[in-house]
Amino acid sequence: MLGKGGKRKFDEHEDGLEGKVVSPTDGPSKVSYTLQRQTIFNISLMKLYNHRPLTEPSLQKTVLINNMLRRIQEELKQEGSLRPVFITTSQPADTLGDDYREAQPAFSHLASSPAHPADLVNTTSLESCLTPASLLEDDTFCTSQAVQPNGPTKLPPPTVQPEKDSFSSALDEIEELCPTPTSTEAVATAVAAIDSSKEGSSESNIQKPEGPQESRTTDSKLMDSLPGNFEITTSTGFLTDLTLDDILFADIDTSMYDFDPCTSATGAASKMAPVSADDLLKTLAPYSSQPVAPNQPFKMDLTELDHIMEVLVGS
Amino acid sequence: MAGAGGGNDIQWCFSQVKGAVDDDVAEADIISTVEFNHSGELLATGDKGGRVVIFQQEQENKTQTHSRGEYNVYSTFQSHEPEFDYLKSLEIEEKINKIRWLPQKNAAQFLLSTNDKTIKLWKISERDKRPEGYNLKEEDGRYRDPTTVTTLRVPVFRPMDLMVEASPRRIFANAHTYHINSISINSDYETYLSADDLRINLWHLEITDRSFNIVDIKPANMEELTEVITAAEFHPNSCNTFVYSSSKGTIRLCDMRASALCDRHSKLFEEPEDPSNRSFFSEIISSISDVKFSHSGRYMMTRDYLSVKIWDLNMENRPVETYQVHEYLRSKLCSLYENDCIFDKFECCWNGSDSVVMTGSYNNFFRMFDRNTKRDITLEASRENNKPRTVLKPRKVCASGKRKKDEISVDSLDFNKKILHTAWHPKENIIAVATTNNLYIFQDKVN
Repeated sequence: MLGKGGKRKFDEHEDGLEGKVVSPTDGPSKVSYTLQRQTIFNISLMKLYNHRPLTEPSLQKTVLINNMLRRIQEELKQEGSLRPVFITTSQPADTLGDDYREAQPAFSHLASSPAHPADLVNTTSLESCLTPASLLEDDTFCTSQAVQPNGPTKLPPPTVQPEKDSFSSALDEIEELCPTPTSTEAVATAVAAIDSSKEGSSESNIQKPEGPQESRTTDSKLMDSLPGNFEITTSTGFLTDLTLDDILFADIDTSMYDFDPCTSATGAASKMAPVSADDLLKTLAPYSSQPVAPNQPFKMDLTELDHIMEVLVGS
Repeated sequence: MAGAGGGNDIQWCFSQVKGAVDDDVAEADIISTVEFNHSGELLATGDKGGRVVIFQQEQENKTQTHSRGEYNVYSTFQSHEPEFDYLKSLEIEEKINKIRWLPQKNAAQFLLSTNDKTIKLWKISERDKRPEGYNLKEEDGRYRDPTTVTTLRVPVFRPMDLMVEASPRRIFANAHTYHINSISINSDYETYLSADDLRINLWHLEITDRSFNIVDIKPANMEELTEVITAAEFHPNSCNTFVYSSSKGTIRLCDMRASALCDRHSKLFEEPEDPSNRSFFSEIISSISDVKFSHSGRYMMTRDYLSVKIWDLNMENRPVETYQVHEYLRSKLCSLYENDCIFDKFECCWNGSDSVVMTGSYNNFFRMFDRNTKRDITLEASRENNKPRTVLKPRKVCASGKRKKDEISVDSLDFNKKILHTAWHPKENIIAVATTNNLYIFQDKVN
């Protein structure tokens, strides 16, 4: 898909230098291709999740970065670098009713046990695993808060979690279960979880930290949280809870973002950062004591809100 | 190439520079749009602080044949103020994204200015007379005691110092959920379009509480969003035709007679990707940052990150001309992606006769391409050449190792000095080039 054409050396002394991507099929340059791809992937992630502007981020930029990540992820998928433990969407969502049917795919990975060996993900199962932020979609005003209280019930069987504070339950899950063998997944999924929550989205996103034991791949996890960006910034009927975000993520340790591509010269594309899952859990731990006010689910007409705002602003 | 400019060997000379001298750029002073009016007499700039500054060309002095009139400040006003979106807890920038002039119908001038969310119609009028000799009012405005009036007189207009007033006549608000990137006035001079990332609306200049949505590319599921609208423009002659460009490098031409919602294009302009140039960044650099019809209406020009393309409206499968603006950046795309420069939105413009096109680059360079002679030139907007009538020296960037004298190597380019906005006088060889916070005006050498 990308750069499968002729190989081209990066030679500074050549005229007409072009930054073509070397073909992944060539032996010695395959490493640099993978390296470059991983670098770009990391940069893209950082762009999406480090940015916390006062104004709305550019939708065009977000879309382009998302497309970049999706493409890389597709390529990784095709190359078979995904861990072969993809879970099929078997989690029954009936218990939750219609409101949450969109939530179901997002949590389908929680359904089966980690040991369950699955085939390489096919496109449909991947794409059906939507971020919970998809719940925030729609011009019609709907809130994710409506979903959250039931988030915990999506946890893997046999235990059906009772409704409780979704955030602390998520943390409990992390501490109960074993971290994944690769640090990347834990890092990535936690990053994804943290950052997708950073967008002010539902706390059901916090479910993501359970990913590690679910053996979702780095990329697919991140894939889930990516599209959420659109919703957070563009949904017009959603009140972001900034204070909550500030409490939770004000002091997040960003050292994990200091990626050093040189360390992955061995070609292990999955190594993203020298941060272990344990480190990440430690950063998350303090937050478990934070009282998370359950968001009141409420539905309001968008026009009603506009009207109220008009009255308040006095315009 | 020495001395030869674009277009009949034009020699470009420095004329004026406007703006602060110091290197420390105030954020509010960053120029965000530049536009000549239809006669070229007025030149408007918008900045990040929401202000509009209009320059007027002084009348040509019959004795001064060696240069055209200078541009001096004519009017300055605050067009947009920052706002706060309470629903999303985000600020709405007051930065002026685009200014478009209406053709002049009477003594007053009208322009549309827009920020991310709101479009405003401004009337700029001159006042050089004032009434004097009221019966009931003193000259300073105080009211007279009617009992002291013994005679009556007719008030007369007397000349006064010229005063230029700008007043907002229409405010077109609350029609865009996403950020407005373009406005374009229709050739019927009654309607105009405004485009944001996902939708295009059609307005009537007189009606502010309603607009028609004519393009909507928002997917039902936002997760599926992979493409946004980047620019839109009405055809200069056909009032039913407009085009819009996308982040995937496509341009769609739509006919409003076909249906109310022009979601299906009449023509789709797209060039197949060159497989040898494929990279991770192919999509990003193909994103079109500007689209401009030629004055004739036969061609349109698009600007993507590395090139300018001229399209014949009758041929959809590829452009008729392609000009490389800064091909030497192709090897630096990864770094440019990292520092976000790859998302810079360069604009482009035609000269009055559609024979030369111009666009900006980095290091305060700007480029002109002569479509007839196929020659191009790179010039620099810098205060170093600030003596009027100094001919600008062509610049050259060397991509490979061996750097000749006077050339600049790619690594020495200052990527913070970018020229995104340029404008060409509709009738004469006068160009306005905006660096970060300065406006340069160049003219061709008049002998």
